[in-house]
Amino acid sequence: MLKLFLWLRYLRKKKIVFLSIAAVALSVSLLIVVASLFTGFINTFERAAVEAIGDVVLAPLNKFAKPTMFAKYGLFIERLEQTEAVEAATAMLSAQGLLHLVEKGNVRAVAVWGIEPERRVKVMGFDRFLLRQRNSGGKPSFDTNGSEEKLGGFVGIGVLGEPDEKTDKYDFDAIEKMFGEEVVLTTGTVSQEDPDSQTRAEVKRKVMKFTIADVVETGVYQFDKGCVYLPIEELRKYLYPQEKPVASQIQIKLADNTDTDVALAVIRGVWQDFVEDELGGNLFLMNANIMTAKQIQSRQVAAYRKQMWILLLIFGVVSLGVVLLIFCIFYMIVRLKQKDIAIIKSCGAAGSSVAWIFVGFGSCVGFIGSGFGVLLGYIVTKNISTVEEWIRIIFGLKLWKSSVYQFSKIPNEVNWFWALVFVLLAIIAAAIGTLIPAIVAAATKPVEILRYE
Amino acid sequence: MHKIILAVRYFLKRRITHFAVLAVALCVFIVVVVMTVMTGLVRDFKQNNHNFVGDCVVGTESLVGFAYYEDFVNILEQQKDFIEAVSPVIKSYALVNVINTENNPGLEILGIDPVKHSRVTNFANTIHYQKGDVSKTFVPSYDPNLVGCVLGIELAFERDLNGNYYYPNTCPRTGYSISCFPLTAKGALSKAGTGLVRTKTFYFSDTSHSGLARVDFLLVYLPFEQTQQLCGMDGPTKRVSAIHIKFKPNIKLQTGCEKVAVLWQKFKQEKADEKQAYLLDTVTVQSWKNYRRASIAPMENEQTELIVMFAFVGITNVFIVLVVFYMIISHKSKDIGILKSIGVSNADIMVLFSGFAFLVGLLGSGIGLFAGRLFLLKINRIEDWLFERFNWQLYDRTIYTIGDIPNRVEFNVLAIIALSAIVACLAGALVPSWQAARQKPLDTLQVNQL
Repeated sequence: MLKLFLWLRYLRKKKIVFLSIAAVALSVSLLIVVASLFTGFINTFERAAVEAIGDVVLAPLNKFAKPTMFAKYGLFIERLEQTEAVEAATAMLSAQGLLHLVEKGNVRAVAVWGIEPERRVKVMGFDRFLLRQRNSGGKPSFDTNGSEEKLGGFVGIGVLGEPDEKTDKYDFDAIEKMFGEEVVLTTGTVSQEDPDSQTRAEVKRKVMKFTIADVVETGVYQFDKGCVYLPIEELRKYLYPQEKPVASQIQIKLADNTDTDVALAVIRGVWQDFVEDELGGNLFLMNANIMTAKQIQSRQVAAYRKQMWILLLIFGVVSLGVVLLIFCIFYMIVRLKQKDIAIIKSCGAAGSSVAWIFVGFGSCVGFIGSGFGVLLGYIVTKNISTVEEWIRIIFGLKLWKSSVYQFSKIPNEVNWFWALVFVLLAIIAAAIGTLIPAIVAAATKPVEILRYE
Repeated sequence: MHKIILAVRYFLKRRITHFAVLAVALCVFIVVVVMTVMTGLVRDFKQNNHNFVGDCVVGTESLVGFAYYEDFVNILEQQKDFIEAVSPVIKSYALVNVINTENNPGLEILGIDPVKHSRVTNFANTIHYQKGDVSKTFVPSYDPNLVGCVLGIELAFERDLNGNYYYPNTCPRTGYSISCFPLTAKGALSKAGTGLVRTKTFYFSDTSHSGLARVDFLLVYLPFEQTQQLCGMDGPTKRVSAIHIKFKPNIKLQTGCEKVAVLWQKFKQEKADEKQAYLLDTVTVQSWKNYRRASIAPMENEQTELIVMFAFVGITNVFIVLVVFYMIISHKSKDIGILKSIGVSNADIMVLFSGFAFLVGLLGSGIGLFAGRLFLLKINRIEDWLFERFNWQLYDRTIYTIGDIPNRVEFNVLAIIALSAIVACLAGALVPSWQAARQKPLDTLQVNQL
C-alpha cells in the first residue's frame, strides 16, 4: 500500500517521469508499426501466392528438368478430388507471349495462362478478381456478349493501363472502355529435338486474336501487370493443335485442417499411380515438382524476414536510450527524495523493500508507456493508408506504390505477438533502467540523511 | 572564460553527463552505419542508372518510335561545345527462345551500335568476353560469321552464394530465336515479311552486368540494324526509340538538357510538314534522373522514411539531455546564484549551459562517428566472417544484385548526423537552461537554503 501511495505521489509530483513514459511509448509504437507492416507484408506476400496458384502446385518436369506438359489432366483431377486431403484442383497451361493492344504501337510482354475458370473459382476464389463478373453472382466465363465466334480472354488490369503516378489508382472508366476490344497475342511453342528421327527443335510462332471479356484485378502488381488468361482448351488448340488436352500445372486447394506434409504425400502417391496407369510410367514425369505455395516463396520470405529482424535490431538498439533516460530520471528522483527514503528506512523498511519501490515504479512506467505505445502503434498501423495519403497530400511524397511493393493495399494488421514481445521488453528495460538508482536508494543511511546538522 | 571552465568542470564532475554522451554516441553510431549503407546503396543505384542511360535521353515511350532521327543525330553531333557523344537506340519487347529448349520468355530488347553506345554509356565496361574491343561485342568468338547478342548477366549465368558470377573461360555457343512484332509508323501490325511476327536467330556473344536488377534480368542487347528490321523500323523513313546523349565533362546536367530541348523544339518545327511528323509529338527530352525516376524514386523514398524514423527515435536523446541538465541545474542552483550575484546576465547563464550541451553533443557524436567509421571499415569482413561461420549474410546475394556492402563514408552525411546530434543536445538543454537563467540569486543564496 505504501509502495502504491509513493508511486502515485511521485507520478503526480515529478512530472519529468512522464518524459520516460513518452519515450517508452514512442519506441514501443515505432517497433510495433515496423514489425506489423513487415509481417503484414510477408503474410500478404504468402497469401497472394496461395490466391494466385493455390495451396499446392504440381508441375511435371521433362528429361532436361524443365517444366513440361502432360495429358489426361481431367482424370488426374478427378482422382485428386476423391482423396480427403484435396478439396479442389484445377489445370493450367502456361506460355509466354507478346500482346498487341488496340492503341497505336502498344505491345507488352505477358505471361499467358490457359485456365478453367469454374474450377479456378473453387481453388482460389478467382471470380472475386474479375471486374465485370464479380458481382454478377454467376459462374465466371470467357463469353463475349453472346458472340460464340469470338474467342474471349481476361487481361490483367495493369496490362491495359498504368496506375496513376500520384494516387496509384487505375482509371476504371478507361479500363471499362476496353471491354469487348480485340487484341492480338503472339506466343509460341518449341518442338522437341529427336535424334532418332534426326528432326531438329523448331520454334513455331502462333498469333491469335481474342476479345477482352473481363479484366482481372488481383491487387498483386506482378500478376495484374503481366498476365493474360485464356480458356485452357482454346490455348491448347493454338499451341499444340496435334495434342490431346494437356496441362503444364495442376493447382490444388487442400481440405481444411489437412496436415500439409500428409497432403503432399497423398498428392505424390496419386500422381505416381496416375503416371503409372495413364502416362506409361514415365520416370521423368514421376518426379514432378510438388510444392506448397509457401515453399515456392520461402527464399524470398526468408530474405524479407531477415530485413525485418535487422530493422528491429537497429531500432531496438537505438531504443536502448530509453533505459538510459529512465536511469537518469530515477537517479534524480532518488537523489531528491533521499529524506523520504531515510524516513521509510528509519521506520524499519528493509533495503530490498526500498529498492523494490523504485524497481516496481520503473516497471509501472514501462507498463504505462508500453500501453500508450501499443495504443499509438495500433492507431498508426490501422490507419496507415490514411497516414500515407496525408503525407502524399501535404508533402507530395507517394510512399506506397503497387509497382514497387507489389500490392495495391498497405497491410494494416497489427501483429499482436510482436506487440506483446515489445511490451514485455519495455517493462524489463524500464526495470533495468531503475536498478542502479534502486540500489543507491537501498544503500541510503537514515542516520546521515536525517541528521539535524 | 568562466563559461568554458564551468562547462568542462560540470562535464568532468557530474558523472551523469556521461550517460547523455553515451546515449548520443549510441544513436550517432547506429545512424552513421545505417545511413552510410543506405546512402551507399542509393548512390550506387543512381550511378548504375547514370552509367546505363548516359546524361540525357531524347525519346518516346511508344514502341513505334520516331522518325527523322538521323537528321537530329547530325545536329547533335555538330554541337561540339557541349555534346561529347550520341547513340540512337531501339527498344522493344520480344519472345526469346533458347534454341533446343522449351524456354520461351518475353524479354526487352535494346538495339544498339556498341561503339557509339559505349561512348555515351558505361556499356563497354559491363561486358565480359569482348571487354578489350567493344566493336566486336556482337561477334561470337566461336564463329565470327554469326550475328551475336548480349544477354543481361542474370539471363546468362547464375551467381554463387557470395554473389560472384561464374563465367566459362570461353563464350558458350547458344542460339536464341528472337521474335518481334514489327509495327508500321501508324502503330498497326506490319504484315510484310514473315507475317505478323518477325523472327531472327542470334548467337550468344557476351553478357552485360549493369548492376541494375531489372536490366540484368530482362534485357537482351542486339545489333542496331537487325533490331530495326525486327521491329519494323527499317522502312524508307527509318525510326528509333531514343537517342542517348553524353555531355562534355564541364557541362551541367540541367544546362545540357535545356540546350538539347531547345534544339529539339527547333528541329520539330522544321519537320512539322513532313509525313511522319506526328511521331515527334510523343518525344520528350529528359535528364537521366528523370528518365529513370520510376526506379530511383522508391529508393530515395525509403531513405527518407528511414531518416524520419530515426528522427522519432532520436527524440529520446533530447529527453535524456533534458533530464540530465535538469538534474545538474537543480544541484547547481547555488553556483548559478553566485554567478548572477556577481553580475553574470541571464543570457550568459543560458550560453553557459548551451555550451555544456554543445560539449555533450560534440563528444557524443565524435565517439559515435569514430565507432561507426571503425565498424564500417570492417563491415564486409564481419559479414564474410558471419557467412563463413554461421552462413548468415546481410543481403542474400542470390536474391539481391548487391556486391559488397557499401561502406564509403560521405562526409556531408557525417556532418549532417553530427550537427543533428548537437542540435538535439541543444534542444534538450534549452528548457533547463532557461529555468537556470530565471533563478533569482536572492532565493538561491538565502541562508536557510544553504
